[in-house]
Amino acid sequence: MNSNSIVVTNLTKKFSFSAKSSSSSWLKNLFSPETKEIIAVNDISFSVKRGERVAFIGPNGAGKSTTIKMLTGILFPTSGKVDILGFDPTKDRKKLAYQIGTVFGQRSQLLPNLPLTDSLEFFGVMYDLPEKEIKKRIAELVELFDLGTFIAQPVRKLSLGQRMRAEVAVSFIHKPKIILLDEPTIGLDVVAKKALRDLLLKINKEEKTTIFLTSHDVGDIESLCDRTIVINRGAVIRDLPTHDLAKTFVYEKYIDLVAQNSFSVFPDLPEGLRYSIKDKNKITVVVDVNKISVQESLKKLLDLFEVEDVDVYNVGLETVIRHIYERD
Amino acid sequence: MKEIRLAIKIVKTLIKDRMQYPDRLFVDTTGVIARCGVLLILYGYVYKLNNGTIGGTTFLFAAWSIFFYFSFSVLRLRDISREIMKDVQTGNVEVLFGKPISYLSYRMWWQFGSSLYSFVIITILAVIALIFIIGLPPTMTVGIFIPTLILTFICGTVLSLFLYAIVGLLAFWIEDINPVFWIVDKAVMILGGSYLPVALFPTSMYKIALYSPFGAAKFITHTVYDTWQTNWYQLIGLQLFWIILLGMIIYFMFAQAKQKVSVNGG
Repeated sequence: MNSNSIVVTNLTKKFSFSAKSSSSSWLKNLFSPETKEIIAVNDISFSVKRGERVAFIGPNGAGKSTTIKMLTGILFPTSGKVDILGFDPTKDRKKLAYQIGTVFGQRSQLLPNLPLTDSLEFFGVMYDLPEKEIKKRIAELVELFDLGTFIAQPVRKLSLGQRMRAEVAVSFIHKPKIILLDEPTIGLDVVAKKALRDLLLKINKEEKTTIFLTSHDVGDIESLCDRTIVINRGAVIRDLPTHDLAKTFVYEKYIDLVAQNSFSVFPDLPEGLRYSIKDKNKITVVVDVNKISVQESLKKLLDLFEVEDVDVYNVGLETVIRHIYERD
Repeated sequence: MKEIRLAIKIVKTLIKDRMQYPDRLFVDTTGVIARCGVLLILYGYVYKLNNGTIGGTTFLFAAWSIFFYFSFSVLRLRDISREIMKDVQTGNVEVLFGKPISYLSYRMWWQFGSSLYSFVIITILAVIALIFIIGLPPTMTVGIFIPTLILTFICGTVLSLFLYAIVGLLAFWIEDINPVFWIVDKAVMILGGSYLPVALFPTSMYKIALYSPFGAAKFITHTVYDTWQTNWYQLIGLQLFWIILLGMIIYFMFAQAKQKVSVNGG
């Protein structure tokens, strides 16, 4: 049995649009305008195993959402192939929809004026579940997502955190094998974000649902996904386990020096070291470990400054990701 | 079977939704009373000035014809154009395309259901009021009237949805469909008999109303006249012709539109 949920092979998407040329006449611009082309996704290939939790990240305009939309059959690829659970999304969009769930953080699928139960029932019918099954599944989701306190309230009266929980719950009404989430925690506070991440982890564990997520929130990636695919300018530039993401790019260490009294002078640093923060109470120095070791750096810094405390640490995942985007 | 179940669910859900807002019903009722009422008062006056008959028709027939137009308009089927445009412009189309549904049939049932509650209540109340105030024309008491009225109502509904859905689908190419919508909507209003009852149309305009999809969408306004009893099957046949033709146009347009989807962030 094939253990892959998603197989993407040489996928490309080009968008063409007409562009007015200032050098051409209005008549030519009207009837025969120039056509420009943007390559949103450029020959990408990857696969995702059943039950895997994958972050699909990249800067704005990298091609993340375009890829997700091709995976769901909303957009048609220019070339290449997508196989999701054995379905071709361009040909079997409706059949595939029964097997996958989608959550678009910036778009709602709920019925705003009616209580959440109505949305759940509505989508249950949309996914052709029998009435008995709908009731049973709603009861399961109410428990799983802790919806009991607000299920009878009109959706428009829910808080953003409650609404996002509801959005995800609705996407699970038909027990999808894959859930595709596009920025699911956007706009949520830290508590609501954690609650949603915990829920997704729980569902992944209990229902073996494959999670494919795009997000700009490093917390989503760190706490939810065991693998990260980085895309930029339409091409996959990294594909590795999330915990290796930080390690792979540790060519920099950070050293915080806390002043014994206060720092008054900031002398030039030896090669391989540079200031990140210069403050009278605290200095942060960035160490390029390719040029100078941490031990050597500490020795040199302690010769230069009188310190009360020292802290050596790796760069955060957010910085690593920023470096990847910038280097590409 | 699945499609019928979903259609019933959409309609039921929307009726429940609208029942939460009695103020909306009040606004719809006031709108119909204001627009239709003013026209009826004016026509009543004009007929009186002409000794009660214009072009061989009495006020009783004209009043019911105008009422049928306005009653049908309460369904707001034309709004499907703007709903499709909104889906395209906001990118909401991606949410609906990701569901196991036919987008257009979902949108059509949604449009039909969204004003059904107001339509039923207003029509029942207005029919009772009109019977008491002006009475029923004899043509509305013959046996064939109710079945053919229902038939032309169904055909008119489908035809209106198809006509305005075509306008809405243009949003996949031109984004802002308002100029096209305006032309089509005004054509339907004029040829459908909203300002002037169809019986009073000059011959050439009557023919356009008869043989164009704009007029055919509102053939319900023809049902009160004597001529309906002899030519109802021709008119319903014309509606069916337009339904088939526009249905094919929608099918091909939508197949192309699906390839044109290009929503924000992809």
